[in-house]
Amino acid sequence: MRTIRYSFFLPFFLPALFFLLAGQVEAAPKYKRSVEKYTVPDVTLVNQDGERVPLRSLLEGDKPVILDFIYGTCTTICPVLSIGFSHFQKQLGADAGNVRLVSISIDPDNDTPQVMKEYLARYNAREGWDFLSGKREDVIQVMKAFDAYVVNKMNHFPLTILHAPGSKHWIRITELLGSSDLMREYELLLKK
Amino acid sequence: MTMKLLLITAACFFLSALPAFGEEIKLPAGVSDEEALRLGEKMYREGILPSGEPMQAIVMGDIPVDGRMFTCDDCHQRSGLGSVEGTVITWPTNGKELYQPRRKTGAWRPPEGDAEKMNDRRNLPRYWQIEDARPAYTDRSLARVLLTGVDPAGRKLNPIMPLYLLGEEDMSILVHYLKNLSVEPAPGVDDSTIRFATVVAGNVAPEDRQAMLTTLQAHIDAHNSQSRHQERRSASGPFFKTEMYQAYRRLQLDVWELHGPEETWPAQLENYYAQEPVFALVGGLVAGSWRPVHEFCEQHKIPAIFPLTDFPVVAESDWYTLYFSKGLYQSGEAAARFLHAHERLADDAPVVVVFRENTESAALRRGFAESWRRFARPEPRYVSLGPDDRTTGEFWLDIARSHRPAVLLLWLGAEDLGGMDSLSGEEAVPKIFLSSEMLNYSFNSVPGNIREFAYLTYPRSLPETWDKRMLPVTRWLQARDIPVTNLEIQAKMYFLGWMLPGAIGYMRSEFFRDYFLEGFDMMTDQDYAIAVYPRLTFGAGQRYASKGCYIVRLTGGPDPRPVPLSDWVIH
Repeated sequence: MRTIRYSFFLPFFLPALFFLLAGQVEAAPKYKRSVEKYTVPDVTLVNQDGERVPLRSLLEGDKPVILDFIYGTCTTICPVLSIGFSHFQKQLGADAGNVRLVSISIDPDNDTPQVMKEYLARYNAREGWDFLSGKREDVIQVMKAFDAYVVNKMNHFPLTILHAPGSKHWIRITELLGSSDLMREYELLLKK
Repeated sequence: MTMKLLLITAACFFLSALPAFGEEIKLPAGVSDEEALRLGEKMYREGILPSGEPMQAIVMGDIPVDGRMFTCDDCHQRSGLGSVEGTVITWPTNGKELYQPRRKTGAWRPPEGDAEKMNDRRNLPRYWQIEDARPAYTDRSLARVLLTGVDPAGRKLNPIMPLYLLGEEDMSILVHYLKNLSVEPAPGVDDSTIRFATVVAGNVAPEDRQAMLTTLQAHIDAHNSQSRHQERRSASGPFFKTEMYQAYRRLQLDVWELHGPEETWPAQLENYYAQEPVFALVGGLVAGSWRPVHEFCEQHKIPAIFPLTDFPVVAESDWYTLYFSKGLYQSGEAAARFLHAHERLADDAPVVVVFRENTESAALRRGFAESWRRFARPEPRYVSLGPDDRTTGEFWLDIARSHRPAVLLLWLGAEDLGGMDSLSGEEAVPKIFLSSEMLNYSFNSVPGNIREFAYLTYPRSLPETWDKRMLPVTRWLQARDIPVTNLEIQAKMYFLGWMLPGAIGYMRSEFFRDYFLEGFDMMTDQDYAIAVYPRLTFGAGQRYASKGCYIVRLTGGPDPRPVPLSDWVIH
């Protein structure tokens, strides 16, 4: 076995890949994006602290909103969506409180406040990121309102929805996003 | 731009160090195979490096990831056999799959014997005999795909696959772990049969034993009745259905009867297992706690699917037993959730628990207390009844006046509710909680004048839906001439038999026990075939399928009926 130790090069590897892959992202936007109109159902959900949250006032408040649908024991899609949220908050730093991140459970039976709190802690969630669950019927109503309903949660798909305060329109993205993609969409949202 | 080029050059130089691995891996000096498997498992399941630091990676091209957020087994699962979620397919990463070429034709392999080669049904048309999707991984190419996301065929993986920033020694340990992950099929399966066992232990009522065994055996018989056709298809089916047909196995159900004191059960289980290993346990009925069987299964990594018990082991991290519910623990938990989230009980409201020392009340107490603690509420006060203590009107008045409880949790049987009606005359009557299970779902023992203050835990489908939900089960039993000796048990075993083919089919021919459990994890939530509960839900690592318990109040009159005050799941 050769004895070259490449740990010496580790500090160079990460930034190099950033540049390489960022170049690809610039060259070819690769996600499906549409502009939609949604009516937020008048339901009350429960957040990770066990607090009752009227959904309509949360999503149609005075802050930009980024919404996704996840569940605590999801195998693939949700962890990546949540890592995206986590990194997005980190990138915004002190401004993270200016945008509301909302994750709605599609497995409300299992996603109790305790499960949701542990989930957010795992992703180093900061203030401004809420994970909501609630009555199964209410959650289904919300999923249907955002065209996110699937009978079997294992058939769900990546979905990120953005909304600017006061806007009638919602940006719908049905792919997993990289960090620069999400940030670009957020900046576009603020410009409108 | 100059900086960008410099960084790209650095990355290329970094990758050029990969030949250090050669084709065959060598573990770091002083690390044994066993130690490497242990350390590799920690990396794979927890995202923790042997140094104790989290693994670092990049996902989706530009998102840095702390390995503890997003572990290998989140997507590839504990078995390494992968998963499918919506539009995302996660390929297997177990040694058996990685170290052989991936065919574009799925499980089809070129025929080996001359007779097979002559058989047109076993051969692909020439135009389908195309190159492999990828060649077999070597240690080196496996390390490369983990670092760069480029597989041995030169294809770039979906960016959802993280690129791991691993040093040489850490990489060698992870590669060693993957190489040894899910390689040898589990015991209890041969070319023709999957062997299951069910445990019957202690002083179980004969009619309950019969209810469980006859229902389970009827499912097994129904499955095996297809064997003649399935085995013929397996031997001569067309090439494009090879994978499905060759996975077919007959099912065998052994009955492991345990006798004598509970302390002797582990040795008896070991003995049965040594004589004839089984792939998994299904169902099961014991007098008392399921713990001895649970621990045996954890120790040997044997799945146990839906044992019939009100006293499961409630543990966050145990893996191998899938229960219907947490049993009476779950009812205690529901009472706490209801008082906290629904009734918004004041933080300093005194809660008093009256109980006799027995398995039922212990489970209820623990379920309530652990939830109550999570809500940061003070410990309840406990009043224990001795064997000779009898409850009377005076006793209840004394409890009410000396403790001034806002809530009385009476984890008692019907025989201990005597004199409780005296409480109705008190100025401030506490909220009284009872367990339907401890009352055997017979509610006449609850005095009429305290029913308006009484709340009951009710962990199953409501009576108004019960008969309708049971109808398919009773029809199914009738069609097979199985007498109804305990409909609840039979309905649960009916459901188990209904789920079993799905989990077996999910494995295809990959007979690994973790993969079998993952088949249940990936099941659609069920509200149709399960009669006993309003619904059962599943997910990776979820080990208690029923998540709910109603809190009900009783109607007045001579035949009290439960009326729900809460949803099935209380948030």
